[in-house]
Amino acid sequence: MKNYPVPLSKSDLMSVESPARYVGGEFNAVIKEDMMEELEKTGKTSYVRFAFCFPDIYEIGMSNLALQILYHVLNESDFVACERAFSPWLDMDKILRERNIALYSQETKTPLCDFDILGFTLGYEMCYTNVLQMLDLGKIPLLAKDRGEDDPVICCGGPCAYNIEPMADFFDIAMMGEGEEMILELCKKIREYKLSKSTSHPMSRQELLLACDAIEGIYVPSLYEVFYSKSTCSGKDGSEGKDPSGACVKPVSDGVKKTIKKRIIKDLDNCTYPTAPVVSNLRVVHDRSYLEVFRGCIRGCRFCQAGFIYRPVREKSVEVLCEQGRLLEKNTGYDEMGLLSLATSDYTRFPELAENLLSTFEGHHTSLSLPSLRLDSFSLDLMEKVQSTRKSGLTFAPEAGTQRLRDVINKNIREEDIFSALRLAFLGGWNTVKLYFMLGLPTETDEDVLGIADLAARIEKLYYDIGRETGQRMRRLEITVSTSLFIPKPFTPFQWEPQNSKEELIRKQRLLKDHIKSRNIRYAWHDFDSSVWEVVLARGDRRLAPVLLEGYKSGLFYDAWDDHFKFREWVEILERHGLTIEDFSREFSEEETLPWDHISVGVNKKFLLSERHKAHEEKTTPSCREHCSGCGAATWGVGECFAKGGES
Amino acid sequence: MLQSEREKMMTMQEHQKAYVQRASFMRSGATVFLGHLDLMTCFERACRRAELPILYSQGYNPRPMMVFALPLGVGIETTCDYLDVSLDRPYDADSFVKELNAFLPSGLQIIRSIAIPEPKDSIMSIVTTASYRFEAKGIRKAMTEAMEKETLIVTKMAKGKEKQTDIRPLLLSLSQASDGDPDAVDFYASAGSERNVRPDLILNSLSLYCGMDREVAENTRVIRTGLFAREYPRIVPIHEVEVRPL
Repeated sequence: MKNYPVPLSKSDLMSVESPARYVGGEFNAVIKEDMMEELEKTGKTSYVRFAFCFPDIYEIGMSNLALQILYHVLNESDFVACERAFSPWLDMDKILRERNIALYSQETKTPLCDFDILGFTLGYEMCYTNVLQMLDLGKIPLLAKDRGEDDPVICCGGPCAYNIEPMADFFDIAMMGEGEEMILELCKKIREYKLSKSTSHPMSRQELLLACDAIEGIYVPSLYEVFYSKSTCSGKDGSEGKDPSGACVKPVSDGVKKTIKKRIIKDLDNCTYPTAPVVSNLRVVHDRSYLEVFRGCIRGCRFCQAGFIYRPVREKSVEVLCEQGRLLEKNTGYDEMGLLSLATSDYTRFPELAENLLSTFEGHHTSLSLPSLRLDSFSLDLMEKVQSTRKSGLTFAPEAGTQRLRDVINKNIREEDIFSALRLAFLGGWNTVKLYFMLGLPTETDEDVLGIADLAARIEKLYYDIGRETGQRMRRLEITVSTSLFIPKPFTPFQWEPQNSKEELIRKQRLLKDHIKSRNIRYAWHDFDSSVWEVVLARGDRRLAPVLLEGYKSGLFYDAWDDHFKFREWVEILERHGLTIEDFSREFSEEETLPWDHISVGVNKKFLLSERHKAHEEKTTPSCREHCSGCGAATWGVGECFAKGGES
Repeated sequence: MLQSEREKMMTMQEHQKAYVQRASFMRSGATVFLGHLDLMTCFERACRRAELPILYSQGYNPRPMMVFALPLGVGIETTCDYLDVSLDRPYDADSFVKELNAFLPSGLQIIRSIAIPEPKDSIMSIVTTASYRFEAKGIRKAMTEAMEKETLIVTKMAKGKEKQTDIRPLLLSLSQASDGDPDAVDFYASAGSERNVRPDLILNSLSLYCGMDREVAENTRVIRTGLFAREYPRIVPIHEVEVRPL
């Protein structure tokens, strides 16, 4: 592979932390040399030049599966050349600005403004300002309305794209759902647009956007008018301004689709998967290969956005997974492979898959990493086999301290299951336990908060009781209790719920801290401020665009990094624009139109509402495998629920 | 199986015979900016992709048995560094080179390899000297001046503390660049576990004492051109040390 030199001096590169982030040259990276030759000779190419942009640092971006999947899909096609770009860290950011050098791609060091299309993956809301940083450094106008015929088309996808409203003014296009097919359809339109430029009937950017609207799953924010009731809003009943703060989103013209329905891949077995992903030269956050096992989740925990937006549940076959696993190990050289899904042990043929992969890795010193193993189907035997050399800690996520609250959130874990699993684990020699909880969940009382401390204390007691029973000398037990803060997210049954005030959350945290007394139990908590801001962005609307723009221009970005997140400054800017935190953390009324109501994820609002009501009645909902609850996802005509005759 | 039993089993494994490939390699391009640990990981992964029968260390956290002659700092190119790779069986050196090269990231390349018996002295311990090429405007004048100095005191960081050190005794000899380039020099310097000088410290001393512009010094292209054993000036290239083939 030809090395395209970095447009920076050696001393500049050497002055930054981890210069290897900015130079490319990774194994399995793709450069379409024929395109580069064509460009060199004629200055033009018929290839669609796509820059896959990750709005955080290289080490995080290179651990992202969406990046690897879409990079592979795009480069596999014969008309797209996809390269990668990441947010430069502050040291490099400064150098690029001082030297007036445009942010460039990893592969051919092409300035971002010279690409035909930029695709951002939005995995968390706190990266929004880094999108602005990348556009700015890439010398691209930040606002979609300011971009002209020669500017790249700026699009996004990923979980945050489902409520892209706060960022709607910055993106030309948002992709809803799984991108493997949609992204190529989009690139075909871009190609038509590009080729038309050298004909007598060049397409305009506006025509391109209208053409893209015809693709299912694609949302062109500029083709919609938005009213928020503080100005004028027609409620569902047609009454003007009745709704105190609800939103209203309408297509600007008749030809534009009213609802944007997310896309899914119906047959994962026959969908292309990157078995030769780009391998970073630099050690990254998750230094392993990823085998995606299935999409969707049968559980339906009511706080979990992923549990609803990725429905319906679609599994890959064991045969396909074993072959992909074999190739991944061979093509990457990683000594660890992670099985990826929302709940690995819910995979129907999980034991068979694990045994099979372990025998493939036999003698290779490759280990299998199993994140998100569920406690109630926990298999100690498998953990023994999997962690053949290292015994890491056990991680459980009961999420709430009492059974009552676990019923409210539909986390179907019973305490008996936790204790029987832990008994086996402690007998097997485990002595490190991590427990994850959330504070501020709907209906939470002090009793629920104290239940967390109580649960940890009883786990500690179990450990030493076992020591006494068996007469074994036990090593010191280490329990870590971590709490994060509940954040109501769009497309969940809790999307209407308020977030506790900061004062209330601080009080609950203190209460819990004061009741954890053992030296064996460590309490780790999550920062409040960023969780409060995350609600603003997650449930926000288009009124936030000027806020984000002003924040970025005053130097606020890298909000996902606690050291760089400046809550007070954000609140000041928010209030200067006539908005408050409360506008977004309040309880949303069930009657109002939500800012994201024009997007359909398959799971319908009626179902979410009934789940919300059941939560308040402390009633649980069975998993999709036990019983179809009619969420709406079976309308795709595929998936486990559909196969079982769900919603017939 | 309980953890304690497993631990016992692992330590009880008898020492496996190692078949060592002593390979020389070059690096250029993007990989120049990798730190030493990342560079090692790159080689490990390439060996795994090439499905070479590498031996792993024993114990809790087995690592591929791979030893580099001398760490290669960030920003330094090389045309001839060395590593020993332990395999579990005899392997043809040419096949080793060819197979590994097919799986290295661009910029890293094995030049040649020889199969040697398991060395008594680690490859790290035999290095005494390195040769370098520096390329920059005015480098010949500055380096000539440096060689004429009695001392070259620079500050280096050691264990989080600043330490003054004289690097002049570690510069062994200077010559014109082999290709006659007036803006390049070749020189020998002490290297290895006992006495070692990092190229960036040499460049630092040039800007401190020999009138070289700081920015020019920092932008100097640094290429390590060889590593040697035995005492200077009777040095021997590393690949000639264990000449007794398997």
